Amino acid sequence: MLSYWRQYLAISPFYLIFLGFSFVPVFYSLYLSFQRYDGLGTKQFVGLQQFEFLWSDPVFWLSIRNTLIIWVLSTVPTLFGALVLATLLHSVRRFKGFYRIALYVPNVTSIVAVAIFFGAVFSNDFGLVNAILGTVGISPVPWLSDPWLIKVVIALLMTWMWTGYNMIIYLAGLQAIPQSVYEAARMDGAGPIRTFFQITIPIMRPIILFTVVISTINGLQSFSEPQVLFASNAANQNLGGPGQAGLTTLLYFYQSAFLDNDYGYGAAIVWAFFVLIIVLVVINWRIVQRGRKS
Amino acid sequence: MDLSRRGFLQAAVFTAAASGLTVACGGGGSDSGGTKNGKNLTMWYWGGALSDKVVAEAKTHFKSQIKLTSSSIGGDFKQKLTTTLAAGGSSVPDITGIKGEDIASFLPNADRFLDLNDLGFKKISSQYLEWKTKLAQTEDGKQIGFPIDIGPTALFYRADQFDKAGLPSDPAKVAAEAKSWDDYFALGTELKKALPGTFLINNMGSVFSIAVGQGTTRFIDQDNHFIGDQDHIRAAWDTAVRAYTLGLDAKINDQSWNAAVGKSLTTEVGAAWHALDIESAAPDTKGKWRVCATPGGPANQGGSYLTLPKQCRNPEEAFKIISWILSPDNNAKSFTDASIFPASPETYAMPAMTGPDDFFGGQKIIEVFGPAAEAIPVSYEAPADSAVMAPFMAELTSIEAKGKKPDDAWKDAVSQAKQIARRQGVN
Repeated sequence: MLSYWRQYLAISPFYLIFLGFSFVPVFYSLYLSFQRYDGLGTKQFVGLQQFEFLWSDPVFWLSIRNTLIIWVLSTVPTLFGALVLATLLHSVRRFKGFYRIALYVPNVTSIVAVAIFFGAVFSNDFGLVNAILGTVGISPVPWLSDPWLIKVVIALLMTWMWTGYNMIIYLAGLQAIPQSVYEAARMDGAGPIRTFFQITIPIMRPIILFTVVISTINGLQSFSEPQVLFASNAANQNLGGPGQAGLTTLLYFYQSAFLDNDYGYGAAIVWAFFVLIIVLVVINWRIVQRGRKS
Repeated sequence: MDLSRRGFLQAAVFTAAASGLTVACGGGGSDSGGTKNGKNLTMWYWGGALSDKVVAEAKTHFKSQIKLTSSSIGGDFKQKLTTTLAAGGSSVPDITGIKGEDIASFLPNADRFLDLNDLGFKKISSQYLEWKTKLAQTEDGKQIGFPIDIGPTALFYRADQFDKAGLPSDPAKVAAEAKSWDDYFALGTELKKALPGTFLINNMGSVFSIAVGQGTTRFIDQDNHFIGDQDHIRAAWDTAVRAYTLGLDAKINDQSWNAAVGKSLTTEVGAAWHALDIESAAPDTKGKWRVCATPGGPANQGGSYLTLPKQCRNPEEAFKIISWILSPDNNAKSFTDASIFPASPETYAMPAMTGPDDFFGGQKIIEVFGPAAEAIPVSYEAPADSAVMAPFMAELTSIEAKGKKPDDAWKDAVSQAKQIARRQGVN
């Protein structure tokens, strides 16, 4: 054990940083969720009071609803699109590298830049999308003020960001499937669509499971997208856009803790949310695992 | 960047060691930076809070006694300051800005700051507007903030559009016509008749927040009771809703304000600094705007303070520096250099401020903003005020975005505000 100190030293940076910047704060926030704390003054122990407030806070439930809707609206097209794109790309002979990079670029672009771009494209009165619709004679669509369309725009943004990322993972999975399986399917007279649904998807199941879990965790944590799209200003400290239709749970946590100086309540929000994420990951796990006749 | 493997590993180990150290000594830290006559002072502010030119002059002016280092902090200033103050130690700046909308939330922790009255603010406080000074004062009279600037409101309007609509366009006449909110909305109705497709206000929230600011009471009273459901707030709410029901509301809650101002938006109610926003959003409307008094009386929006944290390494000198930077004379320079509207009334009579403004067609706008600044009512702002106000603003956007019924929106806003008040320990 001790004779390996060099190796331990080499891997220690991650563990030290994780301990200091993730592990300790996580448990400190759990402790905070039982206190009332404005960030500077004395902490006051309030027991489960913050969670009681949470239970009867309509804005919290609204934010949960928003988050789940945005998550569904973005995860389904993201994963499906990624799988389709990966399959297409898998059969491409030339320019493979170019396509891979092109489809992956959105994911490495700064999220703030993408959000600003989307905000300009979908702007109600002067956006590109409404301008294009206008040429076809469709009247302007209120992308950034209608409660549903706000969610659609945020979901689109997330789809744009994450499709390429998941596609790369699927592509790796596809390349691991032996060609002989496909040849056998072709011999049996299966068309490309049928092959996709009956060969590709079942074999890819563990990889799909992985992306579903990752996307659940990622998708539920949407924060920057609505924050940048509906940046608050000094005159209006509200977040999440008109009617709070884009207020995700993490954004609400940020507002409570850092704008309203209510750190205890903010901590309670994220811990309640943590429980929710765990539940949803388990449900997804079950759904994807189901129907696996081993 | 060329990096050998060994160099990289060394760097990694050092970083890890350093981060381990910061973790090890985070949170603790001693409170004093040695004796209280430090020669190196640090100052935090954010871009546009102070005139960089005046700050540079201050550095040279005090060079013989003090080395002043200023840093412009980006991002969420309040959050960074709170974190630093909570951590304590020598990283705490000796002088720091605090935004006007945040000052109330720092007052419960006034013990983290020095009382400026002890350092000589008492002697010069008469040079600054009382209502502004009071907002940075605790109940027992401790002064934590030194006023930098204020945001007196006015009515900005397109004089040429008013002319086109056959309305009076001279500032004095418009002010007389738009004395109260109702008069102003009546004016707007006429304007809309004459020029279809134009709006009077950008959104209900801006009317609501100014209407609240015109009063002497806000959402929480001095005995820490929630009063956000009472008549004065209801009246401000109804005023905002009236603009909406009359069809004068452009319902702009996104970045499209920039493209609308000066085109479909013919008037704006806003603070003095708002002139810059209009100017940068609609440069081609230069010379066509005028300002006059706010309908229903002046209010304040924004404006900041300088404070000295308790850890300040040299309180006497630091106070000398801030009172020099914010002296009436230097405030005139700050106004010229960075359009920072001073909190010292005697500056209003100085040439820097009395000149004509080209953007407003040569109007001497200080004649509107000066009296407004001095007439702003003294009001009490509780630490939780902005948090309690948030649901009202959110519900107003719900009316605009979803067509929610104003009465339902009011009920929801009040019940949410009550809950936030309870969470923050208001009864």
